[in-house]
Amino acid sequence: MKLSYTTKRKLLGFTFLIPFLLGFFMFFAKPLFETFKYSFNKITIDEVGNMVFTPNGIQNYIDLFTTEVSSANTQVLRVLLDENTNMLINVPLITLLSLFLALLANRQFKGRAIVRMIFFLPIILGLEVVTDMMTITTGTDTLQTGGLFAESFVARMLVRYTAIPMTYLNPIIEFVGNIFNVISRSGVQTLVFLAALQSISPSMYEVAKIEGATGYETFWKVTIPSILHIVVFVVIYTIVDVFLTSQIAQEAYHFAFENSKIGIGSALSVIYIFNVLIVLGVVLLFTRKVVSNNG
Amino acid sequence: MADKELFIPTRTTVATPPPPGKKKKPKLSADQNIYLAKKQVANFSLNLISLILILGLCFVILYPFIQLVPTVLSALEDLGNPNVIWLPEEWSTLSFTAASAMTMPEGFMTMLKSIGFALVLMVIQVFVAAMTGYTMARVKYPWLSPVMFVLVILVFLTPRQSLLLAQYIYFSNFDGLGLVPLLQKILPNAAWLQHPVAGKEGVIMLINQPASLYLMAALGNGVNQSLMILIFSQFFKNIPKELEEAALIDGCGFYKTYFKIMIPNAIPAVVIVAILSFVWNYGDTYYTRYFDPEGTHLASELAMTFIDANKQTLLDRVRIRYGVPVTTDMTFDALKQAGVLIFLVPLVVLYLFAQRWLVENLENSGLVG
Repeated sequence: MKLSYTTKRKLLGFTFLIPFLLGFFMFFAKPLFETFKYSFNKITIDEVGNMVFTPNGIQNYIDLFTTEVSSANTQVLRVLLDENTNMLINVPLITLLSLFLALLANRQFKGRAIVRMIFFLPIILGLEVVTDMMTITTGTDTLQTGGLFAESFVARMLVRYTAIPMTYLNPIIEFVGNIFNVISRSGVQTLVFLAALQSISPSMYEVAKIEGATGYETFWKVTIPSILHIVVFVVIYTIVDVFLTSQIAQEAYHFAFENSKIGIGSALSVIYIFNVLIVLGVVLLFTRKVVSNNG
Repeated sequence: MADKELFIPTRTTVATPPPPGKKKKPKLSADQNIYLAKKQVANFSLNLISLILILGLCFVILYPFIQLVPTVLSALEDLGNPNVIWLPEEWSTLSFTAASAMTMPEGFMTMLKSIGFALVLMVIQVFVAAMTGYTMARVKYPWLSPVMFVLVILVFLTPRQSLLLAQYIYFSNFDGLGLVPLLQKILPNAAWLQHPVAGKEGVIMLINQPASLYLMAALGNGVNQSLMILIFSQFFKNIPKELEEAALIDGCGFYKTYFKIMIPNAIPAVVIVAILSFVWNYGDTYYTRYFDPEGTHLASELAMTFIDANKQTLLDRVRIRYGVPVTTDMTFDALKQAGVLIFLVPLVVLYLFAQRWLVENLENSGLVG
C-alpha cells in the first residue's frame, strides 16, 4: 500500500502525540471528570471514611453564588469579578514589562551575564517552596518579602525627608509596590522572550540596517513580526498564571478541605476552568486575526 | 529624507576596511561630522538610559535578597538588634551551617541526589514536550490540531489543588485505561506494577511510588509539562517552512527531519525549556510528596523542616548544639532563609552555565530567515 505524502506525514506526526494523549487520558481526564461529578453532588463522609454522594443538581452552584462566602468573608461573585479585572490590568502590564526586560537583557554590554542572571531570579522566587520560606514569621501575620516597598527604607525616606505631599506620594508608593509585584510575575515570560529574540536571524537586522531603517522601524518591522507567535504564548501564559495565583484557585481548596464542602469547592473549580477558557477564547480569537494578518 | 540619501555613500566608504598600510581616516565634511557627532550623542544617551534602567530593575529584583543579608549573615544571638539595618554588627555564617545540617540529613549527597533527580526528569520532559510541540506546530490535522491545543491548555490552566481529591482517589486505584493487567504481563518484574489494591483486579496503587513520577513525565503529564509543550509549539511555528521542504527534497524522512533539522534550529527553546523544567522539578514539593515521600528531595526537606510546628525543636537544637544563648522567632527566620539560599545555589549555577550556551547559539546559528 502506498500512502500519499501528507497522509504519511500525519500518521508519523501522530506517533509524536501518542505519549501526551495517553497521559492525558490516563492521568488527567478521569480526575477532571470526577471533579465535574462532585460539583453536582452533595458529598458527606460516613463513619468508615467513604464518600457518600447525594445528587443535588445545580444546588452547589446556586449556593456558591447566594449563601457561601469566601475565606475573606466576601461574596464569591465579588471575588470572581475582582480577579477578572485584576487580570485585565495585569496581563498587558506583565507582557509589556517582560518584553522590555528581554530587550534590555538582549543588548550588548559588559556584565550582561550577571544582568541576565538577575532577571532570571523571579522564576526561582516564584517557586512555592521559596515563597513560603522567604516570608517572615515574626509577628502575627506573615508578610511577603518582595512587596514591602511601602514600609521600606526608601519609602520612609521619601515620606520623612522630602516635601512631597502625601496625596502625591501615596499613589507613587503604591505604583512602585505594584512594580515589585509585576516583576516578580514576569520571570518566565522574560526568559521566553529572550530566547525568541535570540532566534531572530542577525542577517535580518543587517538587511534592515543596509536598507536604512531606523531603530524604531526595525523594532516594529523585524523584531515584532518575528516573535509574534511567542507574544501569543506569553499572553496565554500570563492569563493562566495570573488566574492560577489568584484567590479563586485558593478558594476552591479552602471550600473543599478547610470547610469540608467538597461539592461546593468542585463547583468553584468548574466555574474557574470555564472562566479561564472563555477569557482565553476571546483573547485567542482576537490575536489570531493579528497573527494571520502579519504572516 | 534628503539627509539620508546624502550619507549613504559615506557610510559605505566607512564600512569598507581601509587597505593595509593606510590607516588614515577618510576626510569628512562638516555636515558629516555633525551627523556622526549626533549619532554618538544619541547612542551614548540611549546606553545611559538603559544602564540606569537596568540598574534600577536589578535593584528591584535583588531587593528581597539584600534584605536578607543582615538576617542571614549576622551572629544568631545578635538578631533583632535595632542598630542593624543593612550590615550585621558581627559577621557569622552559623545560620548557614545550622540550616544545612538541618535540611540535608545526608550532607552534600542530599543536594546531589535532588539535582540528579531533577536532571533525569528534565531530560524526559524536554524530550516528550519537544516532540508533542513539534507535531502540534507542524502537522495539520482537520480536527485533531485544535483539540490537541485545547487539551494542552486545559491541563495547563487547571489548578492542581482543585483536582487534589479526585486525583488522590484515582491514583490510589489506578487502572490506567485498563492497560495495567497487560503491562503486568509484559513486565512481570517491574516492582511498581506489583502494588495491588485489596479486593480489586487489575488496579494498582500509584501513590508512594517514585516510578509514577517518571511515568507521568514520560507521558507528558509532569510538572508544568503542558506549558513546555506550548513553548515548543510556538517556537517550532517560528521556524521557516522552507527548511523542512529542503530536507524533504534532500531525502530526509519525518523523524530524520525532526532530529537533524528542526531540533538543532530550536536550540534556544530547548535550552529555556530545560532550564524551566529543572527549576520546577528541583523545586517541586507537590508531586514528590505524593509519589516519593521517603525519597531525598531538598525542596521537600526544606518545606518539612521549617514548618511552624517544628520551630521549638529546631530552636532547641540550635541552642544546645551551637551554643547560642538566646533564640527567638528571628533565629528561626534566619535559619529558614539561609536554608533557602543554600537551596538556590544549584539553580543559579545551572542558569549561569546554560545562559552562556544560549548566547553562543545565537552567534553560531545560521537560520535562513
